[in-house]
Order: sequence, then C-alpha cells, then structure tokens
Amino acid sequence: MNRRRWLLQLVLRALAHRKGRTVLLLAVLAMASSLATALGIVSTSMGKRVAEEVRKYGANLIVIPESARLDVGSGGLNFGVVSEPAYLQQRLVEDALARSGLKAERSFHLRGALHWKDADLMVEGVNFADIRRLFPWWQLKGNWPAAGETVVGSDLATRLKLTTGDTLELVGKSQTLRLRISGIVSSGGEEDGLLFLALPELQQALGLDGQLTLVRLMVTAGGDSLKKSAAALQLLLPSAKVNEVRQTARTSEGLLAKVKLLMIMVTAVVLVSAGSSVAGTMSTTVLERSKEIGLMKAMGGTRWEVMLIFCGEALVLGVLGGLAGYIFGSAIAQFITRTVFSASAEFIPWFTGISLGVSLFLALLGSVGPMIAVFRLDPVRSLRGE
Amino acid sequence: MLFRILKNSFLKRPKAVFLVFLSITMGAAVATAFLGIAGEVSHKMALELRSYGANILIEPSAVEGGGFLREEDLPGIKTVFWKYNITGFTPYLFGIAEFSAGGKTERGVVSGTWFNKGLEVPGEETTVQGIKVIAPWWDVQGSWPAAADEAIVGAALARRLKIGVGSEVATTVRERTQRFHVSGIVTTGGYEEEQLFAPLVTVQSLLQRQGKVSRVLVSALTVPMDDFGKKDPATMSKDEYEKWYCTAYVTSVAKNVEEVMAGSRAKPIWQIASAEGALLKKLNSVMLFLTVLALGASATAVSTSLMASMAERSPEIALMKAVGADRFQISAIFVGETLIISVAGGVVGYLLGDQLAEIISRTVFNSTIASPLWLFPTAIVSAFIVAIAGSVAPLRRALLIEPVRVLKG
Repeated sequence: MNRRRWLLQLVLRALAHRKGRTVLLLAVLAMASSLATALGIVSTSMGKRVAEEVRKYGANLIVIPESARLDVGSGGLNFGVVSEPAYLQQRLVEDALARSGLKAERSFHLRGALHWKDADLMVEGVNFADIRRLFPWWQLKGNWPAAGETVVGSDLATRLKLTTGDTLELVGKSQTLRLRISGIVSSGGEEDGLLFLALPELQQALGLDGQLTLVRLMVTAGGDSLKKSAAALQLLLPSAKVNEVRQTARTSEGLLAKVKLLMIMVTAVVLVSAGSSVAGTMSTTVLERSKEIGLMKAMGGTRWEVMLIFCGEALVLGVLGGLAGYIFGSAIAQFITRTVFSASAEFIPWFTGISLGVSLFLALLGSVGPMIAVFRLDPVRSLRGE
Repeated sequence: MLFRILKNSFLKRPKAVFLVFLSITMGAAVATAFLGIAGEVSHKMALELRSYGANILIEPSAVEGGGFLREEDLPGIKTVFWKYNITGFTPYLFGIAEFSAGGKTERGVVSGTWFNKGLEVPGEETTVQGIKVIAPWWDVQGSWPAAADEAIVGAALARRLKIGVGSEVATTVRERTQRFHVSGIVTTGGYEEEQLFAPLVTVQSLLQRQGKVSRVLVSALTVPMDDFGKKDPATMSKDEYEKWYCTAYVTSVAKNVEEVMAGSRAKPIWQIASAEGALLKKLNSVMLFLTVLALGASATAVSTSLMASMAERSPEIALMKAVGADRFQISAIFVGETLIISVAGGVVGYLLGDQLAEIISRTVFNSTIASPLWLFPTAIVSAFIVAIAGSVAPLRRALLIEPVRVLKG
C-alpha cells in the first residue's frame, strides 16, 4: 500500500515538475487521438451520408404489373408504349410493403390517356408530395399544383402552346376534368412529354379507382443488399414484377464502396504517420532521461520498478490525452459533417475506447520502446552522462 | 568548426536525430500524398460519377416527333470547345418492329446503336465510343455484338420470345426482314430490357434511314450548377454569356454540342446532372477538410517533436555560451542541424508520399497518378519551415538561460 502510494506520488511529481514537457506530450497525444476519433467518425458516417446523397439519383426499385412492359429509365430512350395497359392494385402493393417491413420511400404512378380538343394526351397521376421527395431533379417553372391544378412537361407545353395559368378541359372515360396549369416541368427525361395531375383525380376520371401502373421505391438498403429486398418483395407480390433499377442501384453500390475505401486508406495513412511521429516525440523525452534511469537503478531499483514508473507516467498521459482527444475529435467530426452535409454527426460513445486506445498505445510504445535500449546501459556510465 | 560540430552532433546521438528525422519524413509524406491526391480525387470522383450514365440528351429540334439527326455530324462532338470534358457519347436510332423466333411473335422496339466503336476524328486522338463506355451498369450475359448481324436482346423481351444467347431472331419492319444472331442478353431494370440493340448500320438499312439517328446520349464531365449557372442564358449580358459559355456547366456543354449537330436541341438529363453536382460538391469539401486536417496534424507532429528534442539540450546550449559562443553562432548550429534533417526528411518523405498517393489511387480508382513536380520543392521547403517553427520557441528560451544556473544543474 505504502509502496503503491509512493509510486503514484513519484509519477505525479515527475509529471508536475516538468510542466512544459507534460503539456507538450499531452498535446501531441490528444492531437493523435483526436485525429483518430475525427477521421473514424467521419469515415463511419460518410457511408451513410453519401448513401443519402446518392438517393438524389432517384428510385432504385420499381414495381410494375406482371404483364406490363418496362418503360422507365433516365434519359429519353423510352419509346412510348407498345403494349396493352395493365394495372396493379394500390391496396395490394401497400399491404405487401407494410408486411415486408421494407424501409422505403414510395411513389405511386398511374399512366393513362385523356382526350383534349381532338388529341389524346399522355397523363400521369402522381402524389406531388412524393414527387418532391423522390424526384428532386424536377426543374419546375411556376408552382407545385394544388387541388384542381396540373403540371405540364416542357416539350408538351411547347407543342400544344400551353402556358402557366391556362385551363384545360380533359375528357376521361368516366369523368371530365377542368384543370389549371400551375407550372411547367422539365427534367430532360420522359417527364417532359407528360401531363401530371393528382393520382385520385386521374383514377376517378379514368374509372380506375385504386389502380396503378407503376410504383417507384427508394429502398434504404440497411445492410441487406437491394437484390434481397427485391426478392423479398417479389414473394409478397406475385401479381407484379419487382425490378432493380441497375443504373442507379448498382452504380450507387459501387460508388459507396469506393468512397468508403478512400476514407479508410486516408485514415490509415494519417494515423500511421501522425502516430509514428507522436511515438517518436514520446521516445525523445524518455531518451533524455537516461540519467534519471541510471540514478534509479543505482539506488537499487529493479528494471521492473523503473519500468513501472515510466509506464505509470505514460498511462496517466495516455488516459488524459485520450479523453481530451475524444472530445476534441468529436467536435471536429461534428464541424465537418455540419458544414459539408448540413447534418449533425452521430455521437458514437464507443469511439471513446478507440480514442483512449490510440492514445495509450502511442504513449506506451513511445516510452517502453526506448526504455529497453536504456536498460542496456550501465548505471555508472549513464550517470556520468555518456 | 561549424561542420565538425554538426557532424558530431549527428554521429554522437543517432537515436535522437533518427526520431526527429522520422517525424519530419512522416509529415512530409502525408503532406505530399494528400496534396498529390486532393486535386486528383475530385477529378477521379467526377469520372466515377459518370458511370451513372449520360447527362445530356440530344434530340431532333422538330417538336412534332419524327425528324432525325445526321450521323455524319457525330464526330463533331469530339471537336467542340468542351471536347475534353466529353467522356463518351452514343447515337440511337429507334423503330417499332415485329420480332419472331421459334414461332412466337412480339411487337417491340429495335434500336440501332454503337456498342464499342473506335471513332477516328481528323486532328484528334482516336477514341472508343458507344454503350459500353457510357452505360457501365449494363449486365450483359454472353458477349457484345461483334458482327453487323449480331444483336443484344433485353431480358424481358428475351423471356417473352423464349430465346437465349445463340438464338436467331427475325426482325420485320414494313415487310423488310433482318435476321439477328443473339450474342447477349442485357438486364438493366429499365426500358432497355424491352428492346433489341443491334449495330447502327444494320438498323439504318432495316429502317431505310441511312445516315440518320434519332437521339444521341452524351456523357460529359461538368461542374456543379451554382446560382450563376441557373440564370437563363437568354437574359445574360455579353460578358456574362461568355463566362457562362466558358464554365463547364451541364447547360453550357449541352449548348456546345447542340451547335455541332444540325437541327438538334440538347437538354440536360436533370436526374443525373443535378444529383451529380450535389454529390461532387460534398465529396470535394470532405476531401478539402481531410487535407487541412492531415496537413495540420503533420505540421503539429513535426514541430512538437522538434520542440521535444530541443528542450533536452539546454545544458548543451549553456555550455556553448559559457565557452563564449554568441547567439548567432548557437542559432547557426541549430538551424543548420534542422536544415540538414529536414532536407533529408523532405526528400525521403516526398518519395514515400508519392508512393502512398500511387497506392491510394491504384486501390481506390484503379488508375495511376502522377504527383506534380512542384510538390518536390514544396515538400522540402515546408518540412524546413515547419521544423524551424517548432524549434524557434525552445531555442529562444534556451538562448535566454543563464549558463551558470543550468550548468550547476
């Protein structure tokens, strides 16, 4: 007991006596561990953040009736409909989505033709709130439509000489709609040639209550791959086809993997170099104390005891540096995620462990390594300062 | 005298010198690696994002459907002002056709296109253009068409026709029939699955549209749209228009390619273009932060290790003072020492950092990277500056000490 207190006192006195050195070592240890924490937190949350960004590329799964043909994709490569229309039951899709427990943003689409003057217009019934979330790339001139309003694709608008504020009378199979144009949309895709209105209005006008032609899903694949989600959903929806949109899905997976790999490599490079430099600084301060070690040995201290004193010092420095590093590193990570992604970084408690670990490891490495060399010295010679 | 002191100072305490050297080397390596890849990463990421597909669509300007573009204008795309930003393009010619195979008949879309065509443009390097370049997400079972009568069939169409790789499909358009040998089946999850893709020339003769294409998809490297880029070019003043035209916004690149295709209009595919801009901006700023963090960390590490090594040497300085050295001579010794270590550390660090950048670039992006030459002097000079910055404070303190008190112990 007495001995332990003596040891503790020796360690604390040694640290307090040479304040400059202690502060310097604390600073470098804190810096290294805060670097580890900040880079670690940014790398782990990077995957999530980029995954969120990648969602701006649009839906990654689509559900269509089994007999229908695919006519979706980015860019104007679709070539109109060459088959009879087929429909999905909105209720069935909603049920299946609820039962599958899939975390997904959804948007329901019904496509059909309405008669205007003496031509048929391709129209699409959508829920505009979903559109705003799943199709962030829509360039809308004018306003988002309220009830009784519609949005027209830019090509269609030029072709039919329509402008915002015009009122259209559209004749459907079972109802006639009077709609005011609230805005013109351009997207560079198929949307440019369509007319959009609220889904229930179109369903009523066409006499297709509760029917859909297409469901777009944006699945946040949590660990599970998208393919599995698609397969799971397919089982629940035997009357439909669930397709993975490879253009967005596969590319996103590839991109995410690259970003993660880059972050890991960068973190590793920075940590190894800063770590070796910090351990070097630690060693410098131990090397200069060979005289002290010589004195301890001359007074009858065993190697083990001397080691214990130095390890004790390293331990105290390591713990303090690690804690400071965790706080400082979290602040840096928070700052980066806030500025770049305008989201707050997760508070990850187990990073305290990493931060402490890095700091302790460097402190011990830096003090034990050179100690072994110092031990080989003859106490007499090191006391003489040779 | 100075040289002898310096020589002995290195030879007599190799461990301490080595530790400082290590720290400077590591710092210079990180700085070199980061500065080397920072610029490159944003370019590599932009290229990486191009695999999301084309971001510009060129179509005939006649609004009423119909209308065609001329195939002979296509090479012009590689000669425009933004030619180096255009990573690939592919023409398409569409027609509705009857497909029949094994007694089954289906109506569908036949597309003529380039798969992997070497394009020779006078005065430019030969490039490879086509679907393989701009749509890397295509999952093709079998192989890409090599001959004029080979075709790739969309998976959904193939299922309905009950055909596979190696089958024959007869394609009929207005009484003209062309037999295609199926070389591959493509799965994309999009409209491509409903079409048959064949070489452009064959489809042109099948549809009787020699030298015509209906659409061109262009994949171009662009800068993210900012407030200025969103302005309508029609309302810009002359200077503004020039600035807009000379910035690689997706709209200005589109305008640029529109000018070489007769009777065309080009529009950005916003699904791809807007998401790409946002993502690129964020990745770039993360990289910037990491670079600042890494540079700051290596500078701190280097200067603290110098501080630590200087702090232990106050007895030495006191002794020098006692034997009559003035401040200038003492500073010269220490600055000289720092200079030698940091030049050596800078050189080794540069070489190491160059390798690191190479490794990172190869593992992440599968490509090589050339560190710019200006990094070499920069690495050495910055290593020296950081090292000096680290040793100034302890040196000044050491110069102020009373020799007698330190020597007494």
